[in-house]
Amino acid sequence: MTNIRIPPVSSRPVPRPPKAVVRPSARERGTRLLAALFLAPTIVGIVVFTVVPIVGSVVLSLFHWNVIDDPSFAGAANYGEVFGDSTVLVSFRNTLLFMVLAVALQLLIALVLAIAVNGRMPVWLRSVFRSAFFFPLVLSAASISVVMKYLFNQDFGLVNWLLGLTGIAPVPWLTSENGAMAAVILVYVWQQFGFSFLLFVGGLNNIPKEVHEAAALDGATGPRKHLHVTLPLLSPTLLVASVVGIINALQVFEQPYVLTNGGPGDSTRTVVMVIYETAFEQLRFGTASAVGVLLFVLIMAVTALQFRLSRRFVHYQ
Amino acid sequence: MTDSHTRRSLLRYGAYGAAAAALTGTAASWDRLTAADVPGRDDGSLVVATLGPAYGPAAVRSLTEGFAEEYPDIKLRINAVQAVDWSDFFAKILTQIAAGLAPDLVYVATEGVQLFARQLGVPLDHWVRRDAGELREYFADVHPALVESMMYEGSLYQLPVEFNAADMYLNRQVLRRAGADRPPADWTRDDFTALLRRMKKSSDSHFTPYFWTNRLWGGVVPWLFANGTNLLAESKAPGGDWLWDAFYPARQRSGRGGGFRWTTPQATGARFEETYEYLASLIEEGLCTRPEGGNGQNLVGVFSTGRVGVTPAGGFWAGGLHQAGMPADGYDTQYFPRWRTRRHQFGAAGYALLRTSKRQEEAWEFIKYAARKDTLTRLFTTNQTTPARRSMLTADRYRETGPDHWRVFYDTLDRFPDTGPVPAPPQVAEVEQVLLKHTGTALSSPRAVRPALRRLQGDLEKAMERDV
Repeated sequence: MTNIRIPPVSSRPVPRPPKAVVRPSARERGTRLLAALFLAPTIVGIVVFTVVPIVGSVVLSLFHWNVIDDPSFAGAANYGEVFGDSTVLVSFRNTLLFMVLAVALQLLIALVLAIAVNGRMPVWLRSVFRSAFFFPLVLSAASISVVMKYLFNQDFGLVNWLLGLTGIAPVPWLTSENGAMAAVILVYVWQQFGFSFLLFVGGLNNIPKEVHEAAALDGATGPRKHLHVTLPLLSPTLLVASVVGIINALQVFEQPYVLTNGGPGDSTRTVVMVIYETAFEQLRFGTASAVGVLLFVLIMAVTALQFRLSRRFVHYQ
Repeated sequence: MTDSHTRRSLLRYGAYGAAAAALTGTAASWDRLTAADVPGRDDGSLVVATLGPAYGPAAVRSLTEGFAEEYPDIKLRINAVQAVDWSDFFAKILTQIAAGLAPDLVYVATEGVQLFARQLGVPLDHWVRRDAGELREYFADVHPALVESMMYEGSLYQLPVEFNAADMYLNRQVLRRAGADRPPADWTRDDFTALLRRMKKSSDSHFTPYFWTNRLWGGVVPWLFANGTNLLAESKAPGGDWLWDAFYPARQRSGRGGGFRWTTPQATGARFEETYEYLASLIEEGLCTRPEGGNGQNLVGVFSTGRVGVTPAGGFWAGGLHQAGMPADGYDTQYFPRWRTRRHQFGAAGYALLRTSKRQEEAWEFIKYAARKDTLTRLFTTNQTTPARRSMLTADRYRETGPDHWRVFYDTLDRFPDTGPVPAPPQVAEVEQVLLKHTGTALSSPRAVRPALRRLQGDLEKAMERDV
């Protein structure tokens, strides 16, 4: 047996070998330039229509401005006002509640329907379902809400009339706190789930058949197969759908504005409604911008949290 | 990837780039739309912003063609802004102003008179004084209450061209079913409740005796007026004598001032609370809908089919019901029921001149033209409102649309001279918003009234303290 002496591990970091400076070739430079040229319109668009308004909102949130008179510097006064305003705080609570319920329901419905449509079904029928579920998404949220307002009317609406046929008493859809939130969520989910549905259909098509066949050989059937095979493999799609769904839900405006105008009381008032009312009805653009900045921070935080958590739950093949 | 392939790709992209550059260059050399091409911007037109739904294409044509005949040198552009209500309309006008597209004149209802007067309006006083001879006929034909509602701190900001008082519409089909007659002019709140009970008793479960909406005009406020109270303490600004002395006889100008002041919120007052408790009891008894349940748009249909018995509305509804196919004898009108007072609520509208306008003389000519009887006669052909000019309310006008007792519309002002405008201080948007919000909460049950009104009072105080 040879006596091998292991040298002590030095605490000094091993210096990295110097990076070889490789100058890009003329062809590579040309390709990069070309890429930059193609990307330029998008980058300009993002800067002009996203970055500038965000920066503008942050700046405006530090001023008092009513459109008509010149802005005056307010410091953090607008933020103080926002945190002391019970309506704003309630609107954040409503928005978060709406987001949780609406996104969960939207994803669940979309997932179940996507699995159902992706099963054994004639191709033409599959196309019909895809179009039917996606169709509400292309309609204007405001016009849908106007129609839904009639349908959900407690006294004269079709929904209560149908419920009445089954012996259920009229539900105060738009005039009670719980009913109003439920109606807003139902209308929103009905319109929005088509997007997640299409994503899920695409995601399901990307799952190799062999995986399902192997699971079937191992005895997995029905719900177990979907729970242990389909869902993990669909998790990247689920992440995209939930990120988009949450960002959209946090910015909900048209449905509660048209259906309930935020009522009864403040029960369906959302953050974007408060921004609109504060800016365009009360002419307090600084305060409205402060609320907008807080919503932006909330959206960023929730999205970052999602991506953080996704490391644990999302499986990439 | 081979060299030749890459070279080919680069050549192809180069060709695309050259084509794109050529297209861009060609497009850049064409005449194209810019911000300066927005209709009405710097083209020398006198721009008048109106509430779109109230001014259909025919009305716009009538206004522009008639004005062009009289004033061929003034180029007129009507900007019919689509909005669901006055609050939405004002928001859109302010957005246009922020975008540098300020109109010269804006059609403004009572709800926005003080907001526009304080922030943007030009008082019409010196023009009214200058053209007094020309305007004498106008003022003689218009009730002073309407003119007073267009004044702010002693100055006149608009000449009212239309108004609507909150009277009661009664469905004759429902009255017959209940075996009831049209109530008398001096009916009381208790008579009103009894009529609703009779209507409910004689109808099925799909019937609603009283339909009302949650808004500033025609919602809870007429009941507050009838009970001798108001949302905000009401007083009159000093001044205005220059107008009253010049145009109205002593009997009519008595008690008139320089416009209304709405100041301290009084939502926790005993009469205020009593009014809400009464309305909450009507809801609890199933005699009316909750006010958030509907609006005027869906009301026309259900009223004309006999599913609603009574609703508050102004002269505008005669046109609406006629368009919905309801015969003139299918409904009737009566004054709002008496409680402690007979005071009614109204809202009026006219054209406000903006101080940003560079065509103020021309704008004044338009204001006078728009208030003329022949102009209003051409404009209000379908009874979509009550004309501000008393002489326009004739049997002939209401023969086709009804109702039989069309005189109620203008007589509300004459019979009850203390009839006043909806409370609309410069902070009206926030005031309206908190009123609607807390009214919804207060009417959820009679027990909810008091706490909701306390919160309403607190929010109103905050709103009124805010400078606009």
